[in-house]
Amino acid sequence: METHSSQVIFGWSAAALATVIFIAVYALVIAEKLNRAILALLGAGALILCGVLTQEAALRGVDFNTIGLLLGMMLIVNITGRSGVFQYIAIWSAKKVNAQPLGVLIMLSLVTATLSAFLDNVTTVLLIVPVTLLITEELKVEPYPFLISEVLSSNIGGTATLIGDPPNIMIGSAVGIPFNAFVNNLTPVIIVVEFATVLAFALVWKKSLVTTEEARRRVMEFNEAEAIKDHRLLKQSLSVIGVVIVSFILAHSLHLEPATIAMFGAAVLLFLDNYREDADHQTKKVHGAFAEAEWVTLIFFIGLFILVHGLESSGVIRWMAEKLMAATGGDFKITAIAILWSSAILSAFIDNIPFVATMIPMIKSMAPAFGGADALMPLWWALSLGACLGGNGTLIGASANLVVAGIADRAGHPIRFMRYMKSCFLMMIMSIIISHIYLYFRYL
Amino acid sequence: MNVSTIMNASPVTISVTETFGNALRLMEERRVHALPVVDAAGVYKGTFDFADIWKTLLPKAALLGMDSLTDLSFVSDAQEILREKLAGAGSRPVSEFLDRRVEPVHPDTPVKEAILLFYRLDEDIPVVERGTNRLAGIVTPWEILNALRD
Repeated sequence: METHSSQVIFGWSAAALATVIFIAVYALVIAEKLNRAILALLGAGALILCGVLTQEAALRGVDFNTIGLLLGMMLIVNITGRSGVFQYIAIWSAKKVNAQPLGVLIMLSLVTATLSAFLDNVTTVLLIVPVTLLITEELKVEPYPFLISEVLSSNIGGTATLIGDPPNIMIGSAVGIPFNAFVNNLTPVIIVVEFATVLAFALVWKKSLVTTEEARRRVMEFNEAEAIKDHRLLKQSLSVIGVVIVSFILAHSLHLEPATIAMFGAAVLLFLDNYREDADHQTKKVHGAFAEAEWVTLIFFIGLFILVHGLESSGVIRWMAEKLMAATGGDFKITAIAILWSSAILSAFIDNIPFVATMIPMIKSMAPAFGGADALMPLWWALSLGACLGGNGTLIGASANLVVAGIADRAGHPIRFMRYMKSCFLMMIMSIIISHIYLYFRYL
Repeated sequence: MNVSTIMNASPVTISVTETFGNALRLMEERRVHALPVVDAAGVYKGTFDFADIWKTLLPKAALLGMDSLTDLSFVSDAQEILREKLAGAGSRPVSEFLDRRVEPVHPDTPVKEAILLFYRLDEDIPVVERGTNRLAGIVTPWEILNALRD
């Protein structure tokens, strides 16, 4: 116990206070009236002020490996984005299929999924969606199916690797699962889910995606080489990304944590991008690079880690895990499938980050009952697949969904909650059925 | 010295019920690059200027604020399409195009504030009466320079 005493304030126990504060923050995050970073910070501060945690204990609860990995990758991607390489890839892929709308939809979805496997989902859609709007406007086709397919693909692709999606970063960091284990265990099923989803989309939208020869010709006349703004930066950033990814693969044998790799990669790229500039320009460029990091997400993570640590250190998590074990009768198969489906359904409606943050210590505490930490691996894959893919179920299920909805709105093509759910909830269920079958035959 | 002493008190304006095409013609005839838009009572509603014209010609992906494409150097050019877009906008009411990138100032606003606004935005500045928001005039860079060189 890291609390001052078991009775902390107004005669309340630490467990009761931690639970009340946690539920209040959770409810307010779901209500979406207040920015989630503000809520998480208020909650974390309240835990310390009420004496549930000391400041020292609160900071011990923050997984700086997750924060460092997220921040490092955000910096690397934002600097790389300035080179124009992502526009290049999007235009190149659209031209590869002769700018046929259906082909463009499939190609841009696959590109989004692949990029999302290595980059933050929100960053990926922010890079791909503006080019998509440009191409669909030129082709005079409705952008809706393109945008939705990219949203789904970014969440699916992100599930494939340790660094693709925050839940995986959190699970990998908390449990010490290496990059390669994610690739070996999740990438195969994710490839199947991605192709199944894109195929389903293509079948549904095939008929309505028609354009004229002239419009296609205009897209074919796009000169993707012109999209590259800075060849020097392009070479530097692609080299850094290459080295960073190879380091993730070798991290286990190099005894390196993901945050070290990502932050050092970001530092090297910042150095390469700045060493020739004078002091004034350096300040501006470095300031700009840091300002573009998603601080709301990072601060939300920090506050959330503290909130979950409050639950953990006051014994609430252990109690919840015992209840869950009792509910599943201590059956491993049932537990794994229950985690997969409940994560998916819940993540469709609530932010998967707090959910995963709560589930991690719960699953960890099941280790003795299931024969040690190694035996838990299928449960981690179930949590990852459920929480990441579940986000596709509704428009509010994941950050990438909301970001694309925001851009689409400003472009005059609003994405409505119900319309999204009609096209995507079933797609999400399909992806969970595929994951269910995969987990069952491979691990259970 | 405040803006009321230097402003152009009878600028070329356009009614909020007019069309994009008429606004463009008026700008061309009177050789101005911005038109304050007013309603029947003379209340300032916004400014119609070249930016509104460029906006109708650009792809939406370039008009997404922070998330816009940073450049269009790689796209193909089709003059026909641009011509169609310009002609197509002709019958739309100017009320659809009103943006307020420059907040109006008041007759008693110091000229230095007007100079700061020009330095930052380089747009003509509408001057409105306090309370009624009726257009009192506009300030262009020339009003300021002429006042300072007399």
